[in-house]
Amino acid sequence: MHDSLLITLITLGYMVLVLIVGISARKGQSSSLEGYVAGGRHLGFLILFFIFGAEIFSAFAFLGAPGWSYSKGVPALYILTYLTLGVVVWWVMAPEISEAGRKKGFLTQAEFLCDRFPSKPLGLFIGVVSLLAMIPYLTIQITGAGMLFESATGGTVPFWLGALLATVVVAIYVFVSGLQGIGWTNLLQGVIMVAIAWFLGLATTHQFFGGVGEMFLQLKEEAPEYLTMPGATGMGWGTFSTAILVSILGIVMWPHIFMKFYSADSERTLKRVFVLYPLYAYILIPILFIGFAGILLLKDTPLDEPDKVLLKVVVEMADFPAWVIGLVLSGALAAAMSTASNLAHSSATILVRDVICRLPGGERLTDLSALKLTKYGVLAISLAAYALALAKPASLVALLLGAYGIIVQLLPMLVGALWWKRATTVGAITGLALGSALTLYFQLGSSAPFGWNGGFVGLLANSAVYVIVSLLGTTAVQTTRTTKQPS
Amino acid sequence: MGKRKPMHPLMMLYFLICVLALIWPGATLANRIDPMILGLPFFMVWYMAWFFIVFIGCVICYRTEDKEER
Repeated sequence: MHDSLLITLITLGYMVLVLIVGISARKGQSSSLEGYVAGGRHLGFLILFFIFGAEIFSAFAFLGAPGWSYSKGVPALYILTYLTLGVVVWWVMAPEISEAGRKKGFLTQAEFLCDRFPSKPLGLFIGVVSLLAMIPYLTIQITGAGMLFESATGGTVPFWLGALLATVVVAIYVFVSGLQGIGWTNLLQGVIMVAIAWFLGLATTHQFFGGVGEMFLQLKEEAPEYLTMPGATGMGWGTFSTAILVSILGIVMWPHIFMKFYSADSERTLKRVFVLYPLYAYILIPILFIGFAGILLLKDTPLDEPDKVLLKVVVEMADFPAWVIGLVLSGALAAAMSTASNLAHSSATILVRDVICRLPGGERLTDLSALKLTKYGVLAISLAAYALALAKPASLVALLLGAYGIIVQLLPMLVGALWWKRATTVGAITGLALGSALTLYFQLGSSAPFGWNGGFVGLLANSAVYVIVSLLGTTAVQTTRTTKQPS
Repeated sequence: MGKRKPMHPLMMLYFLICVLALIWPGATLANRIDPMILGLPFFMVWYMAWFFIVFIGCVICYRTEDKEER
């Protein structure tokens, strides 16, 4: 009891610190929608580096990634691989997107795409699907926070309260300070996460095995199947490779990442962030070690939920003093909360700019009322995600994967908008419809050919149809180009 | 839009090799436990080495583009 009180106090102290940093970050922010959503397009290297870093370090990094190495073994490298290679896609696309945003005042992904492929229903569709992906994703962060609180404090802070605390802190600083608040708190959270990740990976393996090398030697003796492909669950090369390819291409399409391209102060800043970004992979490696440790430590009592392996090993099995557990909890919460703040902020922006502004009467919104709506949108969306976290609908992950699967299918459209003059709106929408239908079909149970990733097959079909229809209907370009995008 | 060159063709080739080294077929060459280096199984070492090669590629891109602009 004494221990869990200390853990709770340390964590609460940390959350107060985050709140103070988040609220004081509002200084110097212009009170316009552009200031609130994109930091006035003035964000510098340091802040942007940690904002992009927060996308990697979500609750998934602390719970899901060790869960993968625990249940599958080396196929968990899939996560590090796509994060590292995703940078190359950012490199070629982000500067163009950033510049177009500056010139034309874009704040969302749908605005960028609809400028090239003018269609009001398309914009509305992108907005709604984005929300359907991002709100469940936010719910997962909040659920992660509640789970972390509950197990690290031994139930002193129950799930509902832990999740509520995280939600309220995030909602307050995003409401008050917008992207500036997210930036400065992500910086603080990023530093803590990196320190905790390395400490945990090395200290845990040292405590149980005497070191990382010793642990892998023991794994080689007792469970070598975890150390080479196809891993313990038999993930084939086709599944592994196509999943990586889809994720490399998909990482640019996440709306909350895409929107951050708009906030850079220059192309150089963006590229400096991207240069250093592959190094984040090394920060995640020690977290994977904990999953590997779990394979040996939990040999006789395997976990039903692999995502709990880090909590099980670090909190219940390892012998760390209470203050260390308090810091670990803070670091893991930082991962969940920094991603949550990005998601709440981007979702609210999409809700206002892509959904409300495209509904009848929405065009008349002034900048100031759009700003107000966005800020209250942050509160409403955070609370909705919290309610979902309590209700625990079984289909949440399926909804996330389905909606995100459709978002990835916007990629050929984006490539066309950037580089292919002959792409037509009809072609783009036909491709999107086919790609989305195929992705959903494969996600709902039918396995894709060759054991490939369903989204990958969808992308191939999508691109083919998109190119063919566009080439057949080149005349349509001239007619649609002259119509201006409604905004 | 589309006026700037997104990336030098040689660098595109460089990154294509990186991708192929990290998925099928390149990664199949490294699918073994020994030799273990720094205590890590060889398959993991392979990935960590290629992450560094991607990083170097980004540095090269950054520096050459920087020179062109001056």
